[in-house]
Amino acid sequence: MSSKSATYSELRASKAYYLILGVCVAILGLGAVSFFHLEHTGHYVTGMNNQIVWGLPHVFAIFLIVAASGALNIGSIGTVFRKTLYQKMGRLSALLAIALLIGGLAILVLDLGHADRLLIAMTHYNFKSIFAWNIILYNGFLALCILYIWTMQDRKVKAFYPYVGFFAFSWRLILTLGTGSIFGFLVSRAYYNSAIMAPLFIAMSFALGLAVFIILLFFTFRLDKRELGDLVLNRLRYLLAIFIASAMFLELARHLTALYITQRQGVEQFILLDGGIYTLLFWIGQIVVGGLIPLSLIFCRALKNNHWSLLLASTLVLVGGFVHLYVLIVGGQAYPLELFPNADVQSSFFDGVIHSYTPSIWEWMLGVGGVAIALLLFYVGMKVLRFLPASLADAEVEVN
Amino acid sequence: MSQINAYRRKFMAALGGIAVGGLASGVMLRTVEAGDVPAKPVDQPVSNKVRWGMLIDVNRLTDGGASMVEACKREHGWGNDPKASPEQQSQWIRTVKVTDKLTQHSFTLPVMCQHCAEPPCVDVCPTGASMKRADGIVQVNKHTCIGCRYCMMACPYKARSFVHETLIDQRPHSPRGMGTVESCNMCVHRVDKGQLPACVEAAPQAVIFGDLNDPNSRISQAVKELGGSQIRADLGLNTGVRYLGL
Amino acid sequence: MLALLTSALVGCDAGVPEPNLAPAKAKAAQCVESTADMRKNHMAYLNVHRDKTVIEGIRTTKHSLNECINCHVAPTREDGSAVHYTDEKKDHFCASCHRYVGVKIDCFQCHADRPQVAENINYQHKLSSNNYHLSAKTAKPNVNDWLLLGNSQAQGAAQ
Repeated sequence: MSSKSATYSELRASKAYYLILGVCVAILGLGAVSFFHLEHTGHYVTGMNNQIVWGLPHVFAIFLIVAASGALNIGSIGTVFRKTLYQKMGRLSALLAIALLIGGLAILVLDLGHADRLLIAMTHYNFKSIFAWNIILYNGFLALCILYIWTMQDRKVKAFYPYVGFFAFSWRLILTLGTGSIFGFLVSRAYYNSAIMAPLFIAMSFALGLAVFIILLFFTFRLDKRELGDLVLNRLRYLLAIFIASAMFLELARHLTALYITQRQGVEQFILLDGGIYTLLFWIGQIVVGGLIPLSLIFCRALKNNHWSLLLASTLVLVGGFVHLYVLIVGGQAYPLELFPNADVQSSFFDGVIHSYTPSIWEWMLGVGGVAIALLLFYVGMKVLRFLPASLADAEVEVN
Repeated sequence: MSQINAYRRKFMAALGGIAVGGLASGVMLRTVEAGDVPAKPVDQPVSNKVRWGMLIDVNRLTDGGASMVEACKREHGWGNDPKASPEQQSQWIRTVKVTDKLTQHSFTLPVMCQHCAEPPCVDVCPTGASMKRADGIVQVNKHTCIGCRYCMMACPYKARSFVHETLIDQRPHSPRGMGTVESCNMCVHRVDKGQLPACVEAAPQAVIFGDLNDPNSRISQAVKELGGSQIRADLGLNTGVRYLGL
Repeated sequence: MLALLTSALVGCDAGVPEPNLAPAKAKAAQCVESTADMRKNHMAYLNVHRDKTVIEGIRTTKHSLNECINCHVAPTREDGSAVHYTDEKKDHFCASCHRYVGVKIDCFQCHADRPQVAENINYQHKLSSNNYHLSAKTAKPNVNDWLLLGNSQAQGAAQ
């Protein structure tokens, strides 16, 4: 723990706080309406079908889950790598991780065809399935984050802080490897059957988690009139740049390798060249908006200490990350499975044609409902317990 | 057409060769033989002594398998779900027209769940609902299916469908319902009674169904003599459904 | 005081609907298990048997849901309308108890809640989606349709 006396205090009630709460509850309500509608009438009201099996809700869910594991990173850098600058933000990062994960899991569970069988999912495990492992990993992660927060907040168990922190860090790495492997282990899907999905998701989690953390840290401190100094912001700024670059690098490695594999050239050409909306999303959304522009904003000399450019970069990273997941999940399914290589196929089950997908309003509602859950938990958590450091001004933080 | 005739000549010659070879039961793909599916006593569990498989001779199908699709629809009641869009309709078996880009050679074949020995869908199911029965039939245990659709992502043959709406008046022997995933189950309810799957009965001249583990069964003798290829053999899934004429 | 309470409870009992046993009594003298046993354990019997059937392929009829339906549910009411678990009238054999006590069952999300009828009066033919028309009214029954016509009607006897 930091040797400078670190005081933490609850978020103060204010009009803005209640406004945020109100908006979150309203959007959460939309999500609930969507869930009940889906559960009652069936998934035919969504845009998902037998060709595009996982759609917008899954993009939202994976986005939140990946960001959740990345959000814990801030605390881990402080605990595991002993960087004192980050230690003051440890509690907040763990809270954010819990909030984002619950939001993501909520979407995932509520989109199930049989959400009422969740208890069966938690008691019947097929251990060959990475999905089953993920259920255990996600729940364990929640428990570990709670333990981690406990060791940070309760002086009596402070001794366990480094161990729990390390355990949580390792667990979250395994969890993210698991999430990436949900896609990486699929032999049938040419776009992402690859071991690189696991580390790619780790890199993405770093970038997305940090971007969410930066945005929420900045706005919460502003909301509560606490000081946030340049030292902290600049550290986070350049850290974000490293994470964006690593995610882009792994993505480049993935595509380059796939381009050499003749079997995969079909789907690669589809995404990179003639996939219509997916090609646009890939180049403009994922690469330019999600990668190149944020990197330029971060490294541009003229904007060196500019808070707003950091916020914009973080927002664009989030947009780019969302688009990346959309292209991955939906684009990867839009390209048809090749049962007969080098042949044109035609059938009543949409073999051989690019599959179309238009998200319905219900899927948007469910997705943003999950985001609202995450934000609600985050803000309520900060209000009732002492997660927020009183100040992160330059004078209050030490650097090592 | 002449290509098909040439194939048929070769095929008949091969059959003649087999007959000369003196196999008593004969491998004539003309009639459905009752002995193909030995009846199992009702109270006995299935065992892995049996492995059910299917051999489909694409060139002997007069309609590319359309009658097989129809028979399956009638047997199990899929294909007409009122509220689902065409992309959301279940399709347990479909006919696929394949035209090679270089040679322009074209054929139509029925594609359904291939009942792999190493099914990717079984590997990925979190609850174990997607399962392989001891006798090799791959199916969904809809009691435990949570409707996550991961098995649909995993299947290389796009064999699985998700039910997108409330259903009523399902076939009593083929339960299917909203929120669960379904696929061809080789008509388990018929096989357990010693009957052939509906699609096999619809195309008896082209399809043999039987026990791949029994070297004396009609299908085992047929695949031994005539071979039989798998779709996506490169995946190494050891499918139970084999094709002649791909 | 106790007498007051017990009399109140007796009053509660008066509203419990009796399941309609007429279709079953027309087919057999008694159920496969005694009434008291069935009341207490029918869900256990069904839950155990369903795993045996799906996973092991054991298709004995004693605790088979299909056979329960074949005996206890008549496909139509006297006026010819179809009987379904989800009907407003709650006169389906299972619904009469289950919907009263509020124990939600999802059996009939997948399973047919009445014996198969040959001429499916509720069959909804969807226009334009199929190349092959499947109207039960217009298609001539062929060898595969004997499954629809005769098999399930042999209540209880069919295996």
